[in-house]
Amino acid sequence: MLSESARMTTAAEAKFRINAPNSKPRAIKVIALDKRSEEVVKRLAKSPWNKASFFTSVHFESPPKAGADWSMKAWLNDLAGRTSKLVDEINSADLVVMVASAGDKAEAASVIGEACALKRVMTTALILDRASASDDALSETLLHLRPYASMLVVADDEDYIESMLVALRA
Amino acid sequence: MLRKEQNDLVTQTGLGTPTGQLFRSYWIPALLAEELPENECPPVRVKLLSERLLAFRDTKGRYGLIDEFCAHRGVSLWFGRNEESGLRCPYHGWKYDVTGQCIDVPSEPAESGYCQKVKLKSYPLVERGGVLWTYMGPPEKQPPLPEWEFATVPRNQSFISKRFQECNWLQALEGGIDSSHVSFLHRGDLESDPLFKGAKGNKYNLGDMAPVFEVVESPGGLYIGARRRAETGRYYWRITQWVMPFFTMVPPRGDHPVHGHFWIPIDDENCWAWSYDYHSTRALTEAERAAMRAGKGVHAAYVPGTYRPAANKDNDYLIDRAAQKAGLTYSGVEGIAIQDSSLQESMGPIVDRTKENLVSTDNGIIMARHRLMRAAKALADKGATPPGIDVAHQRVRSASVVLPADQPFKDAAKEALAVRPGVAHTSV
Repeated sequence: MLSESARMTTAAEAKFRINAPNSKPRAIKVIALDKRSEEVVKRLAKSPWNKASFFTSVHFESPPKAGADWSMKAWLNDLAGRTSKLVDEINSADLVVMVASAGDKAEAASVIGEACALKRVMTTALILDRASASDDALSETLLHLRPYASMLVVADDEDYIESMLVALRA
Repeated sequence: MLRKEQNDLVTQTGLGTPTGQLFRSYWIPALLAEELPENECPPVRVKLLSERLLAFRDTKGRYGLIDEFCAHRGVSLWFGRNEESGLRCPYHGWKYDVTGQCIDVPSEPAESGYCQKVKLKSYPLVERGGVLWTYMGPPEKQPPLPEWEFATVPRNQSFISKRFQECNWLQALEGGIDSSHVSFLHRGDLESDPLFKGAKGNKYNLGDMAPVFEVVESPGGLYIGARRRAETGRYYWRITQWVMPFFTMVPPRGDHPVHGHFWIPIDDENCWAWSYDYHSTRALTEAERAAMRAGKGVHAAYVPGTYRPAANKDNDYLIDRAAQKAGLTYSGVEGIAIQDSSLQESMGPIVDRTKENLVSTDNGIIMARHRLMRAAKALADKGATPPGIDVAHQRVRSASVVLPADQPFKDAAKEALAVRPGVAHTSV
């Protein structure tokens, strides 16, 4: 349209893109589902992050109950050894990342996934260290995670989780 | 998002850059064979990976890809005379063969042997499957010729096109592995495009607009699985293949030909979007070829005499706001190829990824960048052979399949994800 003061972007025009922040940091909760993943999460936590928090273990008394009498008794441990209620953490999350090792049963995924589904929080499940497990063992882990993850990633190397968190501005 | 130095790393492919070195490890499509249709035909200017080259076919049918400019005074050899097994510069008559070797300097006595001291940089150029492929890396590391299935089936089973895209190659590639945009941008085309409509799988696509994704590293790149609800207890999976660094194959629909792309840098601000269609077991019908020539499916109609799309940035991609409002097209732009290129070019020649806000469903893109950077660094630091060079990595297929809910696609569809000569794609 002739009245427009800008046309399709050229290299010269691209420099006029407004240079102002266009988002606020999202709260991303990274939860290790097993012992091997704990080590990865502990290493990750040492890097500087915008608004990511890291948890190393999940304890629960029973799976969440659905329906009007919804309830859940589950807790997370952070790196300092503090315990917090899983529901409280999910309430303040924009995204929950579950980290599992290939071959692990990832049983806590159901508890976290149910709570995230109820609170409408996106979940990503990341399976690391794929090479150390057989195809059958990996399939077993996938089976446990699939119903509770809106995105599932199987990565060959553990560096990927850092790349992913940086990409998501964690 | 990417940090600026990471964005530079994956978008710059000129000589001496890490990703440029990565690209120079592979056979890459340089021209369509139709661009050099006969012996002694006019030469074609080619810019690839920010290098200006000239392609020609000599008297004996040999293909050459050489430095575009004459070693004497820097004249473009595009003006040259293609005659008697060489290309002769029209300025002072210097002549070169397909290897770039100077074979005649008329002003010097032949006995002096001067022309033997002049040689232009050249790269091999080989025809396979209707495409002229080149390898621009060190000769001692030249890999085996490519074995992509579309390039090895009989020619009556394939159709290949290319279109000029005015943005960095990575923007175009990322569109190819971003399965989640299909439900929006291309939603009008599943039921209307002759190369898509009628497949049973379309029903699943349109019945579940919130697919769930699984991204799994493959030996050569990635499997990107999109899962939608099918009949009770079953999932409809569409599994895209990405093979490093630039190949994608889109999952098939019914008995339609399967399609995919190569995204090849011309320079850092332009690329070729190569599009192939093929059927693994039958010849394409004349109706299918006619649709492809007309720009249906993943192909595009051209400005006559060029490979530039007729709908391009200079005419606002012929956007039709009435069609957009009526829901005939989601963006107002017609055709899958131009729907993609219009949005990718609108980001600017090289998008500033420090400003983007990726979300969880972008993990395919995040993983692809991660693998590209990892491979480029490993090659630069340790000389490690990148994934996708081994021809076994190239013998892959995409698939669309309905599976029981408890089966991982990678295992349940294992056979479907590899080339099986004489067996059709697994497709719903």
